[in-house]
Amino acid sequence: MRVYVVDNGGQWTHREWRVLKYLGVDTKIVPNDSPVSDLKEVDGLVLSGGAPRVGIDPEKMGKNGEYLDAFRGPILGICAGHQFMATHLGGAAAPAKVPEFGKSVVKVHEPDVLFEGLPDRFEVWESHNDEVTKIPPGFTALASSPNCSVQAMRHRDRPLFGLQFHPEVEHTQFGPDIFRNFLKVCENST
Amino acid sequence: MTFDAKALIVEQVEGIRKSVAGKAIIACSGGVDSTTAAVLASHALGDRLLAVYVDTGLMRKDETEDVARTLKELKVNHRILRAADEFFAALRGVSDAEKKRTIIGNKFIELFEREAKTFDADSLVQGTIAPDWIESGGQLRDRIKTHHNVAGLPANMKLKLVEPLRDLYKDEVRTVARTLGVRVAERQPFPGPGLAVRIVGEVTPEKTVLVREASAIVEHEIEVAAKDKRVPLPWQYFAVLLPVQTVGVHGDLRVYGQTIAVRAVDSIDGMTATYSKIPHDVLDRISIRITNEVPGINRVVYDVSNKPPATIEWE
Repeated sequence: MRVYVVDNGGQWTHREWRVLKYLGVDTKIVPNDSPVSDLKEVDGLVLSGGAPRVGIDPEKMGKNGEYLDAFRGPILGICAGHQFMATHLGGAAAPAKVPEFGKSVVKVHEPDVLFEGLPDRFEVWESHNDEVTKIPPGFTALASSPNCSVQAMRHRDRPLFGLQFHPEVEHTQFGPDIFRNFLKVCENST
Repeated sequence: MTFDAKALIVEQVEGIRKSVAGKAIIACSGGVDSTTAAVLASHALGDRLLAVYVDTGLMRKDETEDVARTLKELKVNHRILRAADEFFAALRGVSDAEKKRTIIGNKFIELFEREAKTFDADSLVQGTIAPDWIESGGQLRDRIKTHHNVAGLPANMKLKLVEPLRDLYKDEVRTVARTLGVRVAERQPFPGPGLAVRIVGEVTPEKTVLVREASAIVEHEIEVAAKDKRVPLPWQYFAVLLPVQTVGVHGDLRVYGQTIAVRAVDSIDGMTATYSKIPHDVLDRISIRITNEVPGINRVVYDVSNKPPATIEWE
């Protein structure tokens, strides 16, 4: 299976690559201005987090919008990737009332394939100034933390997932399980 | 699938052979990353490799002697440069953290280029690992801090750069080091700029002595506690000298002394970290020893920040 990581300039982009590699996936980090045609043989995409502020400098998100429009396989947006997914598809993101840095706890409200086999509360690591303030049409919010109401969302029909927290870092509980669940979705859609 | 150290060794020894046609020097601090890279490069190049260790004057207690012994044991062709005066002179009057890191990076390269010329080398091997280039930033990625071996390199550097560990994190490098039989495989990370980034503000030889002595106490006490299984050995544990003076009382006399922050964190890869839950009696002992044995220090504080939002080092 082949899942690429789109690099939006995150501190943990390379960690996403490492987790996928450890899960036995054929993976590669690609710049976020790679043409969509480069992704023909790819089974899934991870849109990484990064320094760009989605609301302020969306142009730094390169071709993320084209991937969301044209790529038909599963997409997992993380942090800035998640926020961009929301804004691009008709929702909104804005500076968080209370930005989260480091340890937090998420509560899963809606069971979903992404959280299969996980408890409904677990510890996660955050690093964000902005947050999703309105989920796009067709999406369901799945999880929240005390200071952020949209920690996870997914599209009801298309395999599009967004996570505000970082499942790729060592200190987030069940991180590899979340990736494994995402990979199951990738496997089922090929 | 987990990390395959043996495959990496074969691949990288071959890779170094291919990229270095002539001779190479390797910048070796004696830490896990650069020592592992030195062994790989030595396997690939034999006596076409020279390991260069620089005593910057900013090293920990007895470090230079220890590194010399390691390199000798590993039978790596090496040279020790003593350059403390040069580093202190270059750092005089500089208190900005990023400027300090850049000055040190430039100084390193100046020395390496000099050594490369003498040895007739055209390549520089470095033990750069993933967090070094990630945190140094570039293009979309923000610079968190200048790692001397990445962002400290001059744009017009003539030496060809070879970095066999570029895609690895520390835990993976340790696995490679163990596989290669490198004695320092479990050594705690120590930044290239050394104690200079553990002195907040301007670096002087006098302050360096203070932070070095305090760090030796922190290391000793935490290692003893870990050996007694009182606390798991943290990923990193050290002292930081703060530019903060506070009031104390010594023998019925007012003193106005300096402050040491003790930092200890648990991590796997250095990209996220939690502060270590060191038992209070261990902290107590560290505090008593530092304030009694290191002249001029009358206050010790313990840093309880995680990464993020903080970083492991203070600068």
